[in-house]
Amino acid sequence: MKRNTRRIAAVLLSVLLIAGIFGCGSKKEEDASGDVFRTLDEIKESGVIRIGVFSDKSPFGFVDENGIYQGYDVYFAERIGADLGVTIEYVSTEAASRIEYLETGKVDIILANFTVTEERAQVVDFALPYMNVALGVVSHDDRVITDLSQIGADDQIIVITGTTAETFLVKNYPDIQLQKFDTYAAAKSAFENGTGVAWANDNTEVIAFAAVNPGYTVGIDFLGSADTIAPAVTKGNQTLLDWLNDEIVALGEENFFHKDYEETLVDTYGLEFEDTLVVEGGVVK
Amino acid sequence: MDWDVIISYLPLYKRAMILTLKIGWMGILFSVLIGFLCAVIRHYRVPVLRGLAGFYIELFRNTPLLVQLFFLYFALPRVGIPMDAEVCGVLGLSLLGGAYMAEAFRSGIEAVDSVQMESALSLGMTRWQAVIHVILPQAISISVPAFVANIIFLLKETSVFSAISLMDLMFTAKDLIGLYYRTVECLSLLVAFYLIILLPVSVIGSLVERRMRYAGFGD
Repeated sequence: MKRNTRRIAAVLLSVLLIAGIFGCGSKKEEDASGDVFRTLDEIKESGVIRIGVFSDKSPFGFVDENGIYQGYDVYFAERIGADLGVTIEYVSTEAASRIEYLETGKVDIILANFTVTEERAQVVDFALPYMNVALGVVSHDDRVITDLSQIGADDQIIVITGTTAETFLVKNYPDIQLQKFDTYAAAKSAFENGTGVAWANDNTEVIAFAAVNPGYTVGIDFLGSADTIAPAVTKGNQTLLDWLNDEIVALGEENFFHKDYEETLVDTYGLEFEDTLVVEGGVVK
Repeated sequence: MDWDVIISYLPLYKRAMILTLKIGWMGILFSVLIGFLCAVIRHYRVPVLRGLAGFYIELFRNTPLLVQLFFLYFALPRVGIPMDAEVCGVLGLSLLGGAYMAEAFRSGIEAVDSVQMESALSLGMTRWQAVIHVILPQAISISVPAFVANIIFLLKETSVFSAISLMDLMFTAKDLIGLYYRTVECLSLLVAFYLIILLPVSVIGSLVERRMRYAGFGD
């Protein structure tokens, strides 16, 4: 009898716990306008800015053999830190957690090759763009996929969760089987091990992959819509957003992003993609 | 909290729960078999095999499941042993669980007083009969609490399967957050579904524990 009472109490407690979690949830949504984020002044005062970047997506954001962050996004991040006069604390993110990092104020800016989409713009604020992007599909040399109609019912395409490639395929090709991974490193390894007939991702990424790894061909280099990549801040962080926009316009005058390209991307893409990829001064041509 | 969203996600979570349960229970079944075998080998000092079992137990008890899964899924194909993600999941869980179960069973066997064996032998039982009818039933009864704790531990460990692209509960939640950004709904569902899986196990576990407490009479 005593045991039963105790057990019932335990179950009730767990129900309460769940209810508590749900309760907190709805409360948080109501005052989402509270200050989860840090304003420009607060960042300057603290002397540290937290920037979310990739640590495994060469050549955009990665950690080199000396443990130092490198890449196109990081080059820009370094400049932001210098111009703000603060030190940078890099936070390594995965594609799927970029939004949460901003929503919970764990980073001030996301500079992790973040493609601007309508859905994302509803939950975070994007600054002006600094790069062009579309989707691409890379496949093995012995079976190059040049059109998504070549994907059979038993074939799988590799995608990374939380990327625009995943969203695009889920929405437009619901019948294609997706093999999902949560990091670039895992997706790469699995693809090299022969999992999946193709890998869909940002075209910049798949071109870079095929350029570095022999045996792969980018059969589709433009899929979906022409999008841009931009820094993102927590929804409503207007002071930081304004500063970023001014910064991007100002950097355009010195052709900063062309220089960025030549420092970080030219080894992978050569000079031919420079004007296709770079967006200078926040203006898409 | 948007209840329509929660309802629309339910089928996906249900599918993930089925996968989690399928891999989880298959893993647990094999780990019981492996664990039992290793415990008997170790306790009764079977030559050669004893050393192998000891090596296996220490290897798998002292490396994280995530590392084991990465090794099975990403490293083995490079040396010519490709494996399906689900097979990797079951294998990883079985090997990890087997090592833990072995220790649980062994402590059970060792807890049976040596006087039990002596008495059984003096009654004219063969050594084999004594092990099967006297020692093991008591040993199993003693190891039930550790056994139940291991089952719960193994079911929770399935949450690292996302690393090898298995659409378990954890991965489904992370994927949905990445697609639709409904963090609160997705994570609440995640907690709820793990409780749906694990609460019954812990309730049934404590019932079984009570029913099987018959070892070591005379205390």
